[in-house]
Amino acid sequence: MAAVFLYAAYTKLREPWLVFAMSIDAYQLLPQWAVLTLGRTIPWLELLLGLLLAMGIALRYTAAAAAILLGVFFGIMVHAYAQGLKIDCGCFGLGEPITARTLLRDGVLLAACLTLTFLAVRQRARRFVAQENKLATQS
Amino acid sequence: MLAATLALPGAQIKGRGTPGAPVQLDVYSDYQCPACKALYERTLVPLMADYVDKGKVYLIHHEFPLPMHPHAMEAACYACAASRVGKYEQAGDVLFRTQDSWAASGKVDQTVCSVLTPVEAQRVRALAKDPAIIAEVQQDIQSGRNANVSATPTLILTHRSKQYRVPGGASYEILRRFIDQLLAN
Repeated sequence: MAAVFLYAAYTKLREPWLVFAMSIDAYQLLPQWAVLTLGRTIPWLELLLGLLLAMGIALRYTAAAAAILLGVFFGIMVHAYAQGLKIDCGCFGLGEPITARTLLRDGVLLAACLTLTFLAVRQRARRFVAQENKLATQS
Repeated sequence: MLAATLALPGAQIKGRGTPGAPVQLDVYSDYQCPACKALYERTLVPLMADYVDKGKVYLIHHEFPLPMHPHAMEAACYACAASRVGKYEQAGDVLFRTQDSWAASGKVDQTVCSVLTPVEAQRVRALAKDPAIIAEVQQDIQSGRNANVSATPTLILTHRSKQYRVPGGASYEILRRFIDQLLAN
């Protein structure tokens, strides 16, 4: 997942930010100020999430944030596909139209991210229970 | 790649603006594609007035009729034929503006000829079936494939030899912001 987010950030940050803003604008969902704000921030957010995932820092929160971001992307892609918009998905740079294949890929990534979140939360819960048990034993 | 497309016969005729303008915009579109109509009406028309006619952007239109649109190839051939009588822009304009009508009826000939004189119409009708015109459209399609164009509309901006692929569905306001940024550099 870290590699996916880092690659997504790389493909956007190597181009002028307005090119990505135009990809967002093509979805015809947001006002211009929101398009410009997201065009500037999403690539950096992806980079940050990619780095945090790679380092495993606060994994349950990072994975949850990544899953939310992917869930939003997936939702708007499904919406655009259902509306019949012939636009680029903008996921990994330009030149990749929204098709059943890109939806399947992003759906799989979303499922993977949700699984990662679940595993991270479960691992944390197990550690917490183990710690509680240890404390109970000591006292 | 784009320099090569300029060398194609007819490519100069389909360009609008100053060939040496700081920014070159190559547009691959299909006259029967609704998104291309929207791009033309909402983005290209104001862009031509604000940038192309002021010598800031050189606009080149490439035919890219999609097989899924039954009258798109015929429309592209008529537009190219109209370029031979100096009426390419008028033909393109009427094809986009009345897309709903001719796309349903298939009356491409009638639509294009509505902006031509009777003498021009006669010539364009003959030229539209000319193998040289069909080859010109095919060359445009091939140049698009070479540039990895898979959907319409596709826009490619070139500034100082660097190419930027621009989403066709983006609004004019953001596109002009990007062009201004390129021109400022």
